[in-house]
Amino acid sequence: MSVIEAIKRRMKKRDIVFPLVNGLILCLMMFITLYPVLNTVAISFNDGTDAVRGGIGIWPRVFSTEAYRSLFTDEQIYNAFFISVARTVITTVLNVVLTSMLAFSLSRKEYMLRKVITLVMVLTMYVNAGLIPNYLLISKTLKLSKTFWVYIIPTMFSCFNMIVIRTYITGLPEALVESARIDGANDFRIFWQIIFPLCMPVLATVALFVAVGSWNQWFDTQLYNGSKKYLYTLQYLLKMKLATSMQSMNAANTSVDALANATKSTPITIRCAITVVSALPILVVYPFLQRYFVTGMVLGGVKG
Amino acid sequence: MKTIWEQKWLMLMSVPMLLYVLLFNYYPMWGWRYAFQNLDLNNFKQGADWVGLENFQWLFGRDDFLMSIRNTLAMSVINLVFGTLSSILLAILLNEVRTRAFKRTVQTVTYLPHFLSMVIVVGMAQNMFSSNGVVNSLLLSLGIVDQPVFWLGEGKYFWWLVGIINVWKEVGWNSIIYISTMTSIDPTLYEAAAIDGAGRFKRILHVTLPGIKSTFVVLLIMNIGHLMEAGFELQYLLGNPQVYDNSRTIDVFVMEYGVSNGKFGRAIAAGMFKSCVAIVLLFAANFIAKKLDEDTLI
Amino acid sequence: MRKLFAALLAVVMLFSMVSIAVAEEEPITVTVFRGDPGDQPTSDNKIYKLIEEEFGIKFEIEFLAGDLDETLGTKLIGEDYPDLFDGGNSAEKLINAGALIDLLPYITEEGTPNLYNHIKDIKDDLVDEEGKLYIIPNYGINYNAQIQNYCNGPAFFIQKQVLAWDNYPQIKTLDQYFDLIERFVAANPTDKNGAAYEGFAILCEGWRHFCLINPVQHLMGQVNEGEVFIDRETAAVETFINKDYAKPYYKKLNEMFNKGLISRDTFVMNYDQYIAKLSSGTVVGMFDQTWDFGSATAALETANMYENTFIALPLVYDEHYGFGVIEEQYLNGAVPNKDRGFGISVNCEYPERMINLFENLLSDRWQIILQWGIEGEDYYVENGRMLMTEEQYKNRQDATWKMANMATAIWESAPKKQGTMDDGNAWDPANQGEIYFNLMNEYDKQFLAAYNYQKPADFFNAPCEIAPWGEAWQIDKSPIQDDYDDFLLIQDQWLPKIIMSATEEEFNANWDAFVAEIAPSAAVHDAHMQAEVLKLVNK
Repeated sequence: MSVIEAIKRRMKKRDIVFPLVNGLILCLMMFITLYPVLNTVAISFNDGTDAVRGGIGIWPRVFSTEAYRSLFTDEQIYNAFFISVARTVITTVLNVVLTSMLAFSLSRKEYMLRKVITLVMVLTMYVNAGLIPNYLLISKTLKLSKTFWVYIIPTMFSCFNMIVIRTYITGLPEALVESARIDGANDFRIFWQIIFPLCMPVLATVALFVAVGSWNQWFDTQLYNGSKKYLYTLQYLLKMKLATSMQSMNAANTSVDALANATKSTPITIRCAITVVSALPILVVYPFLQRYFVTGMVLGGVKG
Repeated sequence: MKTIWEQKWLMLMSVPMLLYVLLFNYYPMWGWRYAFQNLDLNNFKQGADWVGLENFQWLFGRDDFLMSIRNTLAMSVINLVFGTLSSILLAILLNEVRTRAFKRTVQTVTYLPHFLSMVIVVGMAQNMFSSNGVVNSLLLSLGIVDQPVFWLGEGKYFWWLVGIINVWKEVGWNSIIYISTMTSIDPTLYEAAAIDGAGRFKRILHVTLPGIKSTFVVLLIMNIGHLMEAGFELQYLLGNPQVYDNSRTIDVFVMEYGVSNGKFGRAIAAGMFKSCVAIVLLFAANFIAKKLDEDTLI
Repeated sequence: MRKLFAALLAVVMLFSMVSIAVAEEEPITVTVFRGDPGDQPTSDNKIYKLIEEEFGIKFEIEFLAGDLDETLGTKLIGEDYPDLFDGGNSAEKLINAGALIDLLPYITEEGTPNLYNHIKDIKDDLVDEEGKLYIIPNYGINYNAQIQNYCNGPAFFIQKQVLAWDNYPQIKTLDQYFDLIERFVAANPTDKNGAAYEGFAILCEGWRHFCLINPVQHLMGQVNEGEVFIDRETAAVETFINKDYAKPYYKKLNEMFNKGLISRDTFVMNYDQYIAKLSSGTVVGMFDQTWDFGSATAALETANMYENTFIALPLVYDEHYGFGVIEEQYLNGAVPNKDRGFGISVNCEYPERMINLFENLLSDRWQIILQWGIEGEDYYVENGRMLMTEEQYKNRQDATWKMANMATAIWESAPKKQGTMDDGNAWDPANQGEIYFNLMNEYDKQFLAAYNYQKPADFFNAPCEIAPWGEAWQIDKSPIQDDYDDFLLIQDQWLPKIIMSATEEEFNANWDAFVAEIAPSAAVHDAHMQAEVLKLVNK
């Protein structure tokens, strides 16, 4: 008790200036990052033809929900939303479990295959066969195209995340593993019952990375499932909407003339509405993950 | 043999992933043979001809490809230095915040730009840096310049614009990993430091920074291997013919002279070159880290 | 014996007829790829329902989402071809890769009279060197009189208020045009909100750089041939951008730049910024194509800024430039959109039925259904004229309505009739005189009245005969792709530099450097274009 009081007393003197300056710096950062975001939201709620004139701040000039209407009137969107959620959840769970399992085994110094597997894994981040060979593998050799599994199977592992988790595990006290081993636990049980729960902060971080990556992915739909509209993901559908709205402006050949073709929502508002729609689910899920890596874990009991 | 049996669980947890990676990441590398063929859309069916090093000769015979290598490296280094420093700085500042609600709010707000599409970000940047944009108005009113600076039309500014935009867009997102690492720092270390009479800056220096050191080193080695990847979209959107000599990255070059006219041989040759350089850089960085007795990647 | 034989024959014939009938009826799902983005039709779309009822054909349509060349590249290499394959603006790739079947054997006078007559006159221009036809043009084949109410293509544009301010002068030449802009901006430095006017804007971004590199040919009295000047008599082809007759235009722009009428930002702005500038009403003039800035026009009209909307003018060089008296020729006859539209892929199992579908859809009845809709629902007829109420016309511009009520995706890529019907109605509702003029706003009516004109196209000479080579910008440059890319890039890099030259000496030095640097790639370009044009002429 007295120790803590001593600390508090020491802190009191100088600790008014620093938090103040720190708070100010962070507020400034919030301002310069928040402004463009609010600007995007404002444009998305603005009338399309008015928005092309530019100069909108953080509040719509001519309020309209036309951009959202044009996104949500498509009967496809509910199915696409479901596909997106399904792929994101399944990919995230599989990826986090498999990647952390691998990370644990590669963190064991005594493991004989550690070096060679690590090397093989790490190189995957740098060697890339290119679009065409990958496409041929997945669509021709493995015949995954035009199926849901093309969203899951090729994305079950990420080396970057594996290394992040491995680094975290390395930082945990070695005694944990050793005492468990003395108790007769096998490596899998040590991983699953001791290491995995302790890794929550980093797993939450990795889960966020994987989920955002999977949620935002549209290129695989274009490559493999473009002809199967019931397998469209939300991002792909939104991407289509954007492309279509830009198309109506470039239509050199369509004889229904550009003058008459004054669509109420223009690419600018659609683009912003799409940004809002795609970011919103992440924004909703974020606080649940954030809890783990902002507040921190109390490791005291274990470490002691 | 005995070790194998003892380590059977570790093997079960890793060998299936090894096979998976061999199939999805290494097997397609058989496609690298196309780098030595004149593969394009007209001859893929009957099979392209072997042309030896012709694709590589074509690439390295072009001044603008060499320029794109220079631009890629320059922008990567700028991104790496600024990006790392800014995200660590943000993480440290956040770590010092005691009000939980404020900490969470700042964190949530600063990571938001990560979700803005590059098109939107570039659009805003172009408005800000135009002749009568915010930046020039500010500089003019402060008397730093007496003529608006032509930020977007002069090559010498391009790399730095890319650096600034990247930091702004990703600083919050990149700091997440450091913030989560800081949570694993034992709080008693801070208490001990405080008792020893360490001030706030000393504590940051002696407790926080060492606590994230291994993450920092590992990420650094990883990113050094990625120096050949400076990005595509930002340069593609922000660049214009006036600044091409400074704006084109390898990826932009490959898109323009490989993919969009169906010359896949060239695209794959450029990709192969990039991969080889990346591996050399990676091993070099890893070797240096090992010499310095730091954590290593491999 | 004979009886038996006859009976047998009858049975065989009956059998074969039945089997044909059954084959015709058997419902199929056709996979479709379109090289353009688009909206998926709703599952109860009324036109697709009609097609399904009549032909037993359902469509599974894939639209372009990402980069066209990348998408086509993977589809081709993976040999993942849909039945109906539209390669958009890169359809040559499908043909060169052998993904499409030759359509000519299927098109006969007896079997497919509509298709036969549709391409009969231009067949020689459409087929390739081996006499094969892979794609029937999706646009540009006219029936009866062609209708051009306004110039949809390239022209110099100026705000209507500027002409009104100068009492509606006839602006015919480059000097008159820039002189007017200069006087207007001198007299009105800012608009009523205090925003400064910008004399002339030049969009240079990406493929839209035609605003920068195309004008010279028109100033010399030529239709839009892209980047070459072609002698109509001898079919001699030359790149015009590096010629002496191109220099005066850029000299003029250089003068305007140094007078502050062209802003430096114009060379680095992107399309969105350009549209925002035009829609703010502060840009006095530009060279562009009408369809390229439709959203700016719409924005100005929505904001009731009709006087800030633009009118197209056909400018030529003045006589003093030394190229003689030039007669303008901006409007061209309808150009068949060669190699654009649906091809039938080699993977398609029922090419006959596809041809049959196109044949039937090209009938007058189906063309009206596809272009106008259903009588009574989408349009009405009064004294033989096909008309639309305001609501009916507005529906056609509503993307959501179209998803349920028009077969846009199929219609856009399939062969179609344009121009006028035999009874004088326009095939395209937007061209129908009554509809066009009812739509025009009061300001435009008064503006045209001041000139004593009926329609904006009256500023222009009548469209000319289409040349044997169509319009030369359509010619495939993929055989010289690398040189062509260089050729364009050198223009993109040098022309702004030339326009921004501070002095006469700098201008000349820049121009000479440009001419020298572009010479090699221009030579390759010349040779390729000349050869291709001659091929088309000699067919």
